[in-house]
Amino acid sequence: MASPTPPRASPDALLALAEREGRGKLRVFLGAAPGVGKTFAMLQAARAATEGGEEVVVGIVETHGRRETEALVRRLEVLPRAQIPYRGRLVPEFDVDAALARRPRLLLVDEYAHSNVPSSRHPKRWQDVRELLDAGIDVWTTLNVQHLESLNDVVQKISGVRVRETVPDSALEEADDIVLVDLPPDELLKRLADGKIYVEDTAARAVQNFFKPSNLTALRELALRRVAARVDSDLVERMQGGAIEGPWAAGERILVCVGADAAAARLVRHAKRLADLMDASWFAVAVERPGSDLDPAARARRDAALRLAESLGAETRALVATDRVGEILRVARFENVTQIVVGRARPKLFARLFRPSLPEELVRSADGIAVHVVTSERGEDARRGWRDRLPDPGPLRGYLEATVGVALAVGVGHGLTQVVALPNISMLFLTAVLVPAVRSGVWPAIYASALSFLTYNFFFIDPLYTFTIARPHELLALAIFLLIAVVTSAVAGRAREQARAAIKRVRATRRLYEFTRKLSSLPAADAVAEAAAAEIQAIVGRSAVLLREQAGELGVAAAWPPEDRLDTASMMAARWAFEHKEAAGADTGTLPNVPWLFLPLVAGRGPIGVVGIEDAPDGVHLDAERRSLLDSLVEQTAVALDRATLAGEIEATRMAAETERIRNILLASISHDFRTPLASVLGAATSLTELGDRLAPAERADLLVSIREEAEHLDGMVRNLLAMTRLEAGALEIRMDWTDLGEILERVAAAARRRGATQAITVTTTPDLPLAFADPILLDQALGNIVGNAVRYAGPSARIALSASADDRNLSLAVDDDGPGIDPALLPHVFEKFIRASAERGDGGEGSGLGLAIAKGIAEAHGGSVHVESPVTNGRGTRFTLVLPRRRIAP
Amino acid sequence: MTTVLLVDDEPAIHRFLRPALMAEGYAVVPAMDGREALSLAAGQAPDVVILDLGLPDIDGKIVLQRLRAWSDVPVVILSARDREAEKIEALDLGADDFVNKPFGVGELLARLRAALRKHRPGRVAPATIRTGCCEIDLAAHRVTRNGEEIRLTRREFDLLALLARNAGTVLTHRQLLTAVWGPSHGGDTQYLRVYVGQIRQKLGATEQDPVILTEPGVGYRFADAG
Repeated sequence: MASPTPPRASPDALLALAEREGRGKLRVFLGAAPGVGKTFAMLQAARAATEGGEEVVVGIVETHGRRETEALVRRLEVLPRAQIPYRGRLVPEFDVDAALARRPRLLLVDEYAHSNVPSSRHPKRWQDVRELLDAGIDVWTTLNVQHLESLNDVVQKISGVRVRETVPDSALEEADDIVLVDLPPDELLKRLADGKIYVEDTAARAVQNFFKPSNLTALRELALRRVAARVDSDLVERMQGGAIEGPWAAGERILVCVGADAAAARLVRHAKRLADLMDASWFAVAVERPGSDLDPAARARRDAALRLAESLGAETRALVATDRVGEILRVARFENVTQIVVGRARPKLFARLFRPSLPEELVRSADGIAVHVVTSERGEDARRGWRDRLPDPGPLRGYLEATVGVALAVGVGHGLTQVVALPNISMLFLTAVLVPAVRSGVWPAIYASALSFLTYNFFFIDPLYTFTIARPHELLALAIFLLIAVVTSAVAGRAREQARAAIKRVRATRRLYEFTRKLSSLPAADAVAEAAAAEIQAIVGRSAVLLREQAGELGVAAAWPPEDRLDTASMMAARWAFEHKEAAGADTGTLPNVPWLFLPLVAGRGPIGVVGIEDAPDGVHLDAERRSLLDSLVEQTAVALDRATLAGEIEATRMAAETERIRNILLASISHDFRTPLASVLGAATSLTELGDRLAPAERADLLVSIREEAEHLDGMVRNLLAMTRLEAGALEIRMDWTDLGEILERVAAAARRRGATQAITVTTTPDLPLAFADPILLDQALGNIVGNAVRYAGPSARIALSASADDRNLSLAVDDDGPGIDPALLPHVFEKFIRASAERGDGGEGSGLGLAIAKGIAEAHGGSVHVESPVTNGRGTRFTLVLPRRRIAP
Repeated sequence: MTTVLLVDDEPAIHRFLRPALMAEGYAVVPAMDGREALSLAAGQAPDVVILDLGLPDIDGKIVLQRLRAWSDVPVVILSARDREAEKIEALDLGADDFVNKPFGVGELLARLRAALRKHRPGRVAPATIRTGCCEIDLAAHRVTRNGEEIRLTRREFDLLALLARNAGTVLTHRQLLTAVWGPSHGGDTQYLRVYVGQIRQKLGATEQDPVILTEPGVGYRFADAG
């Protein structure tokens, strides 16, 4: 066996299989015509499934009063219908939300092609079904082959009836199973005659046309072929998925050029059928000349054709380019397209003479790409009347300018003939024709050439001052004028058009650039959201709203003009867009009655929000150009918003890390501060117990004293920690009392000396110092901490001076030292927690960095304050001042 | 008289250690920072050094490193319990033992004695070491328990002998692994857990007499009989 490489499973096929897992399964009961018994077949199958223990619920089934059908439905659980208000009455409709809430294993949803009442969530029932499948619910549904989008025009041709309710082919292709419900035409007709087929009264005549044996046979063939093709493609898919060697997809890619003409939709369907035949992927492209002002109807036709293509499974693109052929081929090459489908209007003799048609140009330049030309049908061209094809008559100003120009030519010509004998004065009039041709377009130019001819004839050609043409060849002048007018204005018009397009493109690019720059300069996500909403509103010209997900809820983050909330239906659409990462609302397939178009903001890690654009009040959607600009804006907004959000998160993380660092410093300093006195206490105590007898009595006494002192030290630290905790919790208990500040200063000085301060500590008070109304214990602590700080940092031989003074309003306690002073960089932070000098000494430094923070807290709790000044004199010294408000003793 | 160089920046530590050491018969040379400690170590030739790692001027580890450049005087480290890494670093740099702050004086004195014993000049390593009911004959590579021979693998014996020779002082994981398994196994502490477990089991170690003491996170220490 010569098989050098083992067969490989096609990734596409595996992907398609994988995507189906986790998704609900769809079974379609396909029939050739109404009345073949699809619903009945579905219900019978459902009954069989129920008997097999399956959980089956009826979402919606139309029994049309048929008794057998009703009997089958009665055995099953039926979901209540939603009552949707429409034009003043309630219309019962299938309730998607009820189905999603009920979540049965298998749901029956009749009539796949049904159109929902406007203001339902989706315009079409097949879209409801898709949502159910996404939610993992298995669905069975029914469909007639004539409702298939790609067969729409074929069916029309066969039956003469235009089917309005259509289902895109992709919706059928999604089906995991297709069950063909077949009935020979004769039997179907018999059932019709027996009145067993439900038809709406209004359609009675159409029905007569529809139910003809020839039609039914043709439709039956269509349905059979459809199912056969499906069976074939299933087989291929399985073979690929299982890596069984067999026919592989040919890799054909089809591009269809969609115009704004009436044939566009037919062209798209043709391409779809071709794509199905070739098993090819396909694209629909609409290329517009820049600045071409399509009338709204044409624009709508083109957009509808693109949407149709999308619903039939094509990728679509709306492009703007001056060189249409070049642009189409560029896309074709880029996408490896092998076949181009293009429509061709009935050739006009005039047009054919001057300019090759699009298909002709394509055929000439498309090397290696097959070009299919689909000719137009009778009637399609007629819709575009000759008036439509005439160029814009242009502004009145152009005609005025042309008149003035001709008048000037007459004047100058007249003057010149007085001076010199010019052989051909008509040259002057040529200028008068050229100027409006270049400036104002073809109509003013033609007007100018006619006027020129008349005046030229009148003023300069014999017989003078008559319009009589003596010699026929003088008419040549008119012909030349006209030719020049038409050719020049065409060339100039093209140039103007290109320039305008270039300017437009530059403007759009600049706008996008400025938008991006503006957004990227903003640090916070909120600011980005606000700027984005305002900018999008300014650029697109519609109200814009930006919603973000915060704490699991989608809410309005910014809007321009300002808006706080959206109505429930709009919010529903916004949420849908967010959750499904697809556009929703106006101009889309989901909740199109909502007056907003919602586009999801998708970042690398998933959806982060939604941008909403208000629909114009007249329901005119955005044109393709602005829509593609909007897409770019939304993309940029997502990037900027994501960046800002991430930056915010990084900042939060940094803050958390900083808090963590401070906590660690606190822990380290506290553990150190506690360990040293504890080590002393434990060491002294064990010395006494283990070496007691061998120590001299004086040494024993000293060890005992050290134990007491270190225990006091520990107590002081515990008090500080507690005070700090209480201060922070706002639970500091203050017991105000009339307090002698001098006494407190003496007490603090004594405590410092006792703690081993080597510095000279002096206390100065004024004799008539009033009493302070304060908590003496807390004041002790605050001042003790300040003095302790001085003892620690002023140096062993410094002088420390404590003083108290009073003025009319305040009492001040000052602690001065003549030490080296405080590092200027540290000075603003001395009252912050965990700040202490020589922080690099992780272990050696004494003090928890809490003392001064506590002093500040205590002073403030008294309604006072603390201040620091350093250096005080000659670049040395530090002064801390604790200020308390003075209170008069009540008389 | 044995001279102790006591290096600590906390006066409170000096205040109780000085009388305690003197009562034990040591002469005490106090130093408040690293620079002072290095100059006193050179000038006074102490027999043993008690070194606090958290010094105001030079880090205690650097003091140790400089000291070890020219002296193998026994050094006992004073360190906080939560600075394990620093402690191990100091031991690997050549410190003989450590005491966690806060500590009892008795514990410090015992560590000092063990460190001094190890470094006693002209000391002849004893041929046999006794611990509890076990006897380790270093020369004959024999271990007996109550006169009955216990069979140890070569690695087990090497490990036990190394610990026994340094009885009373701590050996870090790295020191043990490097000596017994080789320098490339310096990080494989799981070997030690397994081997120490086996040795304890074979020697009939109990909670009261564990033979080998675990210094959590640092290393092992052979239970000191004297």
